[in-house]
Amino acid sequence: MPAALTNRFLDPRVLAGISGLDLIAKTVVDGFLAGLHKSPDFGFSQEFAEYRAYTPGDDLRHVDWNVFARTERAYLKRYRGETNTGIMVLLDASASMGFGGPVSKFEYAKFLASAIVYLAHVQRDSAGLIVFDDDVRNFIRPSARQGQLMRLLHGVDTAQLGKRTNFARPFFELQQFLKRRGITVLISDFFEDPQKIVGTVVPLRFRGNELVLFHVLDPGEIEPTLGQAALLVDMETDDAIETSPEYARVEYRQKMQAHLKTIQAKAREAGIDYFLLRTDRPLDEGLREYLTIRQGRM
Amino acid sequence: MGFLSPWFLAGLAAVALPLWLHLLRQYKRTPQAFSSLMFFEHHVQSSVRHRRLRYLTLLALRLALLVLLAIAFANPFINRTTGATGRRKLTVIVIDRSFSMHAANRMTEARAEAGRLADGLRGQDLAQVMALDSHLEALTQYERNRGALRTAIDNVEPGGLSSSYGEFARALRAMEQTSGMQLDVHLISDMQRSSLPNFRDLQLGPHTTLALHPVGKGKESNWAVENVVTAPQVYDPKQTRLTATINGWQTDAASKKVSLAINKHVIGTKEISIPLNGRAQVEFLGFDVPYGASRGEVTIDPKDNLPEDDVFRFSVRREDPRRVLFLYTAGRTNEPYYYKAAMESSPSTGLTVEAAPLERAGSQDFSRYAFVVLNNAGEMDKAVAQALCAYVQKGGAALIVLGGNSARAGKIPLAGERFTSERVTQGAGYVDEQTPALTGVGRFQNVQFLDSVQFQPKAGARVSAKLADGSPLVVEERMGEGRMLIFTSTLDNSSNDFPLHASFLPFVVQTGHYLAGGEETGSSVVAGAAVTLRRTHEQGATADVIGPDGKHELGLGEATKALSFGLLKEGFYEVQRASGRRSVEAVHADRRESDLNSIPAETLDLWRNTGSSTTAATGSVEQQTMPWSLWRYVLAVALAAAIVESIFATRYLKEGQTA
Repeated sequence: MPAALTNRFLDPRVLAGISGLDLIAKTVVDGFLAGLHKSPDFGFSQEFAEYRAYTPGDDLRHVDWNVFARTERAYLKRYRGETNTGIMVLLDASASMGFGGPVSKFEYAKFLASAIVYLAHVQRDSAGLIVFDDDVRNFIRPSARQGQLMRLLHGVDTAQLGKRTNFARPFFELQQFLKRRGITVLISDFFEDPQKIVGTVVPLRFRGNELVLFHVLDPGEIEPTLGQAALLVDMETDDAIETSPEYARVEYRQKMQAHLKTIQAKAREAGIDYFLLRTDRPLDEGLREYLTIRQGRM
Repeated sequence: MGFLSPWFLAGLAAVALPLWLHLLRQYKRTPQAFSSLMFFEHHVQSSVRHRRLRYLTLLALRLALLVLLAIAFANPFINRTTGATGRRKLTVIVIDRSFSMHAANRMTEARAEAGRLADGLRGQDLAQVMALDSHLEALTQYERNRGALRTAIDNVEPGGLSSSYGEFARALRAMEQTSGMQLDVHLISDMQRSSLPNFRDLQLGPHTTLALHPVGKGKESNWAVENVVTAPQVYDPKQTRLTATINGWQTDAASKKVSLAINKHVIGTKEISIPLNGRAQVEFLGFDVPYGASRGEVTIDPKDNLPEDDVFRFSVRREDPRRVLFLYTAGRTNEPYYYKAAMESSPSTGLTVEAAPLERAGSQDFSRYAFVVLNNAGEMDKAVAQALCAYVQKGGAALIVLGGNSARAGKIPLAGERFTSERVTQGAGYVDEQTPALTGVGRFQNVQFLDSVQFQPKAGARVSAKLADGSPLVVEERMGEGRMLIFTSTLDNSSNDFPLHASFLPFVVQTGHYLAGGEETGSSVVAGAAVTLRRTHEQGATADVIGPDGKHELGLGEATKALSFGLLKEGFYEVQRASGRRSVEAVHADRRESDLNSIPAETLDLWRNTGSSTTAATGSVEQQTMPWSLWRYVLAVALAAAIVESIFATRYLKEGQTA
């Protein structure tokens, strides 16, 4: 990626300095949309879908007059967005999400969630939010009504770190509410057995839902460096363990890489989108990359 | 091994600090929060054990540092054996070159003995050749080159100075201390008894061995012209008188022919008989001496084994008498009576007294006189006073005598100090006979002075004599280039009975001699004496000295700067002082050198044993143990430990920061 383009992206530390998630979301989304002005169709549901013959009663605003001029037949131009896709954002608020600095995983996840709901708002999609740890802490039903964006952003903003993670509980709740197919976005650090994660979320996929896993990790979790033997305390369980720099440098990293590969592989097998986001990476850059990959796949 | 300051070992208690730091605090660790421990395993890695081991290394270094510091401050030492093996050895070959080494073939023997010693040195032996007379002079550096040593030995010649074994021993002690070497000294000398000082002055250092190599016979007979007494100035040839003393050491009774020569012309010869081991005197009277400086010699014939002391050199100068102006109070013609009589009774002074009343002093040219006596002057004519002051300031001299007129004026003429006079009869309390003006005048015994004068002498003035109550009697002051003697009593018998006593004559003669500038040496001086070339105010003017061999003794720099010159060789020196005055100085060797009797063998053995007990003959060395301080080495090890400790500690600190 050219350096000039890279430099345009927003450093997470800059985002952390902006007060107000609405402004952060707008900054992120407008930024990468402006950078992609040659492809205005990018988005979750703004993609061109098909032409359909005009039938009486259709809105004349959607008639493609260029086609009519060439063929003297009226066709309507249809977009995927007009399929009223709903976006549900599941935000992991377990204690482990508080790790990292200067921008913690939870802050980064909040920025990501805000950007997604703002993007959905821009595309007039309905959007909802579930904040969970080992239980559902906040639930905002998907809606495209006026004021929904503010509700979602408020929900994201007021989210607090909880205790342990339990994917089964929010997804059980979610299955109760999701009557229509849509896109479910899960933002978490996924410190869980990959098989269990995928096994929990894959039922949503079977209902025609599209599922996207955003794996948010701090660089210190992927490649930890310990200067000396350290006593590490688990942020969720308060368990303590003594470890050494050599172990963190070699064996931990090997295990973490295997974990990431396993999640990615399991998600791919289940037809689930998986995207890893490091908190030291500009958010708009990450979103742009993911959307580019997604468009290429479609 | 021991400690010179063992109480510093209390500092070892400081080792408790690193022990506490390492053992009690080493594994206390602040828990560190981490998101999830699902990928960590609970076990203690070998690296932790290794780290502990490394911490133990750091602990050991810190403990070692503190222990070493405490030991270094306690100043450890070990007893070390010293001796010849502990120091480098220096062989010192000392050849006596004093006057007595002229006798027979003593110097030839000495050079041959020194040559043998030099040849006997081993290849790597350091050696130095030195010469001894009144002081010890190094003729070479520390040398391994036998050629250089032989050259120095072959060039040693006997001189005119006397030898001093006391100076020899002192120089060896200093040399031993400064060189830090074991001195193996070989003294080649005739071992004259006359050169032996107090035995305690012969003490040698602990690292000096002395081997004595006597040359010459133990006892040799010798005659010498021991002394010649004559006036250095001749004013009237009819009154010349010379007394020569001939002495014999270990000699039988003998008859000798004594000759007097002036400027190489023999003007008189006398035959004398010298008793066994005794001396005899011969006198020459009324001999003629030409004007100017003359060189005289008294010789005895026949010559003996030491012909150099069979001649005695002296110098005489013939000149016309000089005049002294005695200014007295008008009408009191008796005032100069005693002074004039005293001065003229001693023709050797070369001074004649001219008396004139003070009122007629204005018509006098003072510069024609050797000095002026200002007797009992009161209020003086201003012109006369100014003329006298100018005369003194330009280098003249004045004897100021206080009397009744001066007391009435209350002021010392010319000098200007105010004084008070009180009638107290008393004697002289203190006479400094070391001052040139009063040398040999005695203590004014039984003289009664009737007046006591009190005044404050000027700064720089010298009070040479005082009365019993401490009031000044003779004060010397300088005025410009000239000098004044203030005598606070009279030169007649009006306020003292001084002229009636025997001490009056030497007082008048010596003060007259001093004020007339006659402070030079006598007719001859002993070798080693110094002659004054200039006074401090005569810097820049040229002086010159021509030695006995006819060569100029002063370099260009010395000719304009040297204040004095040492007369080291026998013979006649022509001396031109910076003031322009010329003289001939006759130099003779110290006649103690003529006594060729040598030191007894037992005394030499005692002297030899004052140094190290090592003897040149046996080579055995007395072993001495001396404490050898180790604190420098301990401190160096502590420094090394500190450096290693800082390297280890820095490495751990870096790791701690990255954690």
